[in-house]
Amino acid sequence: MKIQGSGVRRRLTLWYTLALALIVLVFSLSVYVFVKSRLFRQLDQQLDMESSVIAGELTEDPVDTRELDPDGSTRLFQLVRGNKILFRSEAIQKAGLPEILPESNEKYRTILSGSGKRYRSSTATTPNGFLLTVALGEEGVRTTLRTLFMILALALPIALALAAVGGYVIAGRLLEPVAAMAQKADKIGADNLSERLPVENPEDEFGKLAGVFNRTLARLQDAFERLQRFTADASHELRTPLTALQSVGEVALQENLDAEAYRDRIGSMLEETARLTRLVESLLLLTRADSGRLLLNRKGQNVTAIVEKAVDDMRVMAEEKSQSLTTELAGDVQADIDEDTLRRAVVNILDNAIKYTPQGGAVAVRMMERAIGIIIEVLDSGPGIAAEHREKIFDRFYRVGPDRAREAGGAGLGLAIAKWAVEANGGRLEVESRENQGSTFRIVLMK
Amino acid sequence: MKILVIEDDKKVAQAIKKGLESESYEVELAQTGEDGFFLTNARKFDLVILDLMLPGRDGLEILAAVRGRNDKTPVLILTAKDAVEDRVVGLDAGADDYLVKPFAFPELLARMRALLRRGTNGQVFKLKLADLDMDLVRRVVIRAGRSVSLTAREFEILEYLLRNQGRIVTREMLARDVWKETQRATPLDNVIDVHIARLRKKIDEQAETRLLRTVRGVGFILTEKES
Repeated sequence: MKIQGSGVRRRLTLWYTLALALIVLVFSLSVYVFVKSRLFRQLDQQLDMESSVIAGELTEDPVDTRELDPDGSTRLFQLVRGNKILFRSEAIQKAGLPEILPESNEKYRTILSGSGKRYRSSTATTPNGFLLTVALGEEGVRTTLRTLFMILALALPIALALAAVGGYVIAGRLLEPVAAMAQKADKIGADNLSERLPVENPEDEFGKLAGVFNRTLARLQDAFERLQRFTADASHELRTPLTALQSVGEVALQENLDAEAYRDRIGSMLEETARLTRLVESLLLLTRADSGRLLLNRKGQNVTAIVEKAVDDMRVMAEEKSQSLTTELAGDVQADIDEDTLRRAVVNILDNAIKYTPQGGAVAVRMMERAIGIIIEVLDSGPGIAAEHREKIFDRFYRVGPDRAREAGGAGLGLAIAKWAVEANGGRLEVESRENQGSTFRIVLMK
Repeated sequence: MKILVIEDDKKVAQAIKKGLESESYEVELAQTGEDGFFLTNARKFDLVILDLMLPGRDGLEILAAVRGRNDKTPVLILTAKDAVEDRVVGLDAGADDYLVKPFAFPELLARMRALLRRGTNGQVFKLKLADLDMDLVRRVVIRAGRSVSLTAREFEILEYLLRNQGRIVTREMLARDVWKETQRATPLDNVIDVHIARLRKKIDEQAETRLLRTVRGVGFILTEKES
């Protein structure tokens, strides 16, 4: 993944510049139109003033043109009465303006002189019945407008160019964390899963993105470590019976024993073989469960009967330890479950409870039907589970004490299998425990 | 009784052959699929033990060929695949029973006996070994003239042992046939041991000879003979 100079950055700049161009264009146009109308209004007001001055001087009839238009005057005006031009000022004749007849009712008009110059004219009727037309050159206004246009036309591309460059740089800056993240993420692999992406500001979008990445990485790392631990534990567990097999066999071969003793050695080796087989079976079951290749047959079953059978199967184990095993089961509870796996879950949990509850203790199984689902609880009066172990007891091969379960004959897979079995039936397995106050394992089968 | 064993692993094949011969079966070995295919075609056997994973010709192919000829010889398949689907495929193809590797030899013998006995099985009401008597109808057990009181489960175990008297019964056989547990690797093994210990106490403790023995690493056997 390469972000630097990428499409995102270019697209960002392009859109930004285009939007800016549109805004500046509209703005310039408005300014131009506004200034233009304002300047012409001023020109027209000037014409009106001129017109009223001339009209004030124009008192008598006939007109004293010498006074109105003394020599050297620059006044541009003409007088019309009826449809006849009475008088045209010297300046208006010099400027080469055509005779202006009131063809229309327009008061203000722009007219072209003979030399192609533009003039603004205003025509009005004086109190004594003359039609007075006054004119002024538009030159000044036009020049101002042209300058304004030039300024705007020049400023627009310069502003846009600056904005584009600036935008490109800023976009680059903003996208830098993404590029950095991509670079970093690219380097994180199985060997350095503990590394994390840099988070500059956890509050902004990039920070949040990095946070999401980091949490994903944490989960990956966790899964990876679990897998590694699992593999290490599994090979350790497999090696133990293999070692026993090998050493018992080798020692037996070295010794000179009678048939009975050899039979005993072989029996001992077969015991280890059985242990290996059990372990491999359990591992296979879990692996198959993990890959979802285990077919369950979930259908309407009498959960009460299944729990009862599990308890009956395990009863002798409790009796051997003089423990009381009591039940308190809701009658004929039905649910869609796979009988074998659920029984296995209950048996494994019971096995665990009986194993870790001391001689003469008590184990109770309760089952009830609640709104959330069916609850199956196995309570024991055992030593309880310390908080630091509570989460992990469902992990494969996890043992609370060093070799605590091995002495009791387990490989540390019973509860892992139970958890899987419950979850495969759409339920969840929880544990509640306080040290020295016993534990409660609770299966909740959602409805 | 002539048995054909089609199994490519030499060690396993030899072990089965020796074990079966010591049980007075006549054993023919085929170590490739081709050999097995040829032998099933050329000769008649009382039972075929067939490994599913074979070089050359797959076990299922051989099975299909045998059944295709309308040959009803019982076939027991051995497989390292114990996924339910794999078993179903084997049974669908016409196998009579299956055994998942690794298996206990006594279990193989028990399965074979069941297949060979098929159809000739008469109803039994009484079982007996030495001075141990079991009445299946009245559900009474008598050892040396004294009535022994057993729980239902103990009765079932003893019945199973009596039916297989003189032969080793593994924990797995008991789990499957008495407890009807289809899954393997359950905590049931310990449960079985406790039941056996109690049963032994009830039938052997006050008697002169011990009948119920543990064969270390394998299982249990009900026999008169001293080992």
